[in-house]
Amino acid sequence: MILKMKKEDLSAFLETVKEWGELWGPTRKGERVAFERVEALSQMDLKAARTIIPPKKLLYPPRFTMFDFDDEGYVERTGDVPNRILFGIHPCDIHGIQIMDTMFLEEYKDPYYAERREKTLLLGHSCIPDEKCMCFATDTEFIAEGFDLFFTDLKMFYLVWVGSSRGHDLVRMKPELFSRDIGKDDILNYTEYRKWKTSQFSANADFTGMPDIFELGYDSSILDELAEKCLSCGQCTMVCPTCNCFNVVDEVELGSVEGTRDRFWDSCMFREYSLVAGGHNFRDKRVDRLKLWYTHKLQAYIGEFGEPACVGCGRCVATCPVDINVVTVANALREQEVGK
Amino acid sequence: MSSPKIGVYGFTGCAGDQLMILNCENQLVDLFGATEIRSFSMAKSDNHEGELDVAFVEGSISTEEQLEHLKDIRKRAKMLIAIGTCACWGGPQAMKLEEGGFEKRYKGVYGNAKITVSKAFEAQPVDAFVRVELKIPGCPIDKSEFLGAVSKLVAKRHPYLYRFPVCAECKWKENPCILWEGKFCAGPLTKAGCGAVCPSHNMPCVGCWGPTDDLNVGAEYNLLKEKGYGPDEIVQKMKKFGGAGVAKLVKEIKPTAKEKEANK
Repeated sequence: MILKMKKEDLSAFLETVKEWGELWGPTRKGERVAFERVEALSQMDLKAARTIIPPKKLLYPPRFTMFDFDDEGYVERTGDVPNRILFGIHPCDIHGIQIMDTMFLEEYKDPYYAERREKTLLLGHSCIPDEKCMCFATDTEFIAEGFDLFFTDLKMFYLVWVGSSRGHDLVRMKPELFSRDIGKDDILNYTEYRKWKTSQFSANADFTGMPDIFELGYDSSILDELAEKCLSCGQCTMVCPTCNCFNVVDEVELGSVEGTRDRFWDSCMFREYSLVAGGHNFRDKRVDRLKLWYTHKLQAYIGEFGEPACVGCGRCVATCPVDINVVTVANALREQEVGK
Repeated sequence: MSSPKIGVYGFTGCAGDQLMILNCENQLVDLFGATEIRSFSMAKSDNHEGELDVAFVEGSISTEEQLEHLKDIRKRAKMLIAIGTCACWGGPQAMKLEEGGFEKRYKGVYGNAKITVSKAFEAQPVDAFVRVELKIPGCPIDKSEFLGAVSKLVAKRHPYLYRFPVCAECKWKENPCILWEGKFCAGPLTKAGCGAVCPSHNMPCVGCWGPTDDLNVGAEYNLLKEKGYGPDEIVQKMKKFGGAGVAKLVKEIKPTAKEKEANK
């Protein structure tokens, strides 16, 4: 279902739906754009191309306690997650959450992710691409499902896609703000919008044929050259909307049998990630770690799930201090030359 | 569960790590309750130098007398843990390691003064002389890292400390990467554990936690050179807290492809 809403009514709508839960949206403080809890639409920056960390941080926090234990057993820390309405997520990030769902909700259901996912409503918003956006190359620049509501900004109006019954429940909290009266002009405006968005991309990104190019270039010295530049700082994995690896540690209380079992974001760029008991390391060399990440994103995941594990958000481009990212790696492999 | 016998010792350093232990105010009673603190000169006068389960050693080693004392501690301790960046990597006093010229620098400071105390040598980390089971770096150490490790030891479990760079913690806090601003940030070379406290206040990391176990010194060097920093400044800043952890590595920095091209 697609509805229509006046732009100026958005603020009142968000004010109303706050009854359901905390309102979160993209905020800006200098260079730092981040999803934060807000009280009103006016605190959000809906023009920012991307946040530093994708919305995965709300579904799967960087570090959290899974359960408390003592010598008798354990008690899960689930149940204390608040309801949240996450407003202003772009199509790429919704695609990212869908990949997270595949990882955490299907074969092995993760109770911590599942709870946060269940209690978070996703209210998408159309975006203004910048020079780092490459969702056009991963086919993720538009989104048809995976959200509760999606707002496409058509200057005077929003077209509002209702993507779930929970999204519909939000609409029903303030039905007078929505109209089903969609006319010829709206359709034309929407067609224009799609054309406009498609014309905005300028990144030199092309992932066609990447599974084959990776297969051909797997032992290429190009990857060694890139690894020589890699700082192994792990920022790429932290900011990637589809990176989901974690480590688990126990914290014990001093002089007590009580403690907590915590989980934190890990990175396959770290040497200890592939270290196993006995001291063997499966990917001791930096180049092997780079190969793992990039083949995972642009080759192996395609083989398994039919789409890349890259949603084209441009965060690795915006983050890596030495310019190693999906675009530079794909181009270097294709052209057999590391760009400047 | 019998409480482990513990000793806390300080050598060349500012004693800030021992102070940080005493600064664990809310947990001090638990700490003194869960362990038997046999020796801790900074905290108490009634000290007994016997067998220890764990010796915590702060500071680098820079005199013959310290070295003898360290060896004695090692003999008496089942486990020796270096605390603080000086004990782990040498600290700023070890920033000239691998450069030679210690005698000259020594003379420059002391001239021909007659030294009556123990003979001094170039400061080095504790593990340059004796076996070290665990390093808890920091300048000073972080309370929760220290207490976390002690709690695990008391519970007869392996302590876990982050081994990856502080960049991970920095990203968990969603800070923009300070290297993009052209600032000299030592984050990618520096072990996590501080919670990225400096970059979270828009101050670059100076590397005070010491190096990670997986350094790409050459990549950081080349990046900083591209940002306009001079080779000497880069190496000096890397060695300031990196000490023995980077002293050999900075000597192996290779010129970049661009530089090779320029030198042709």
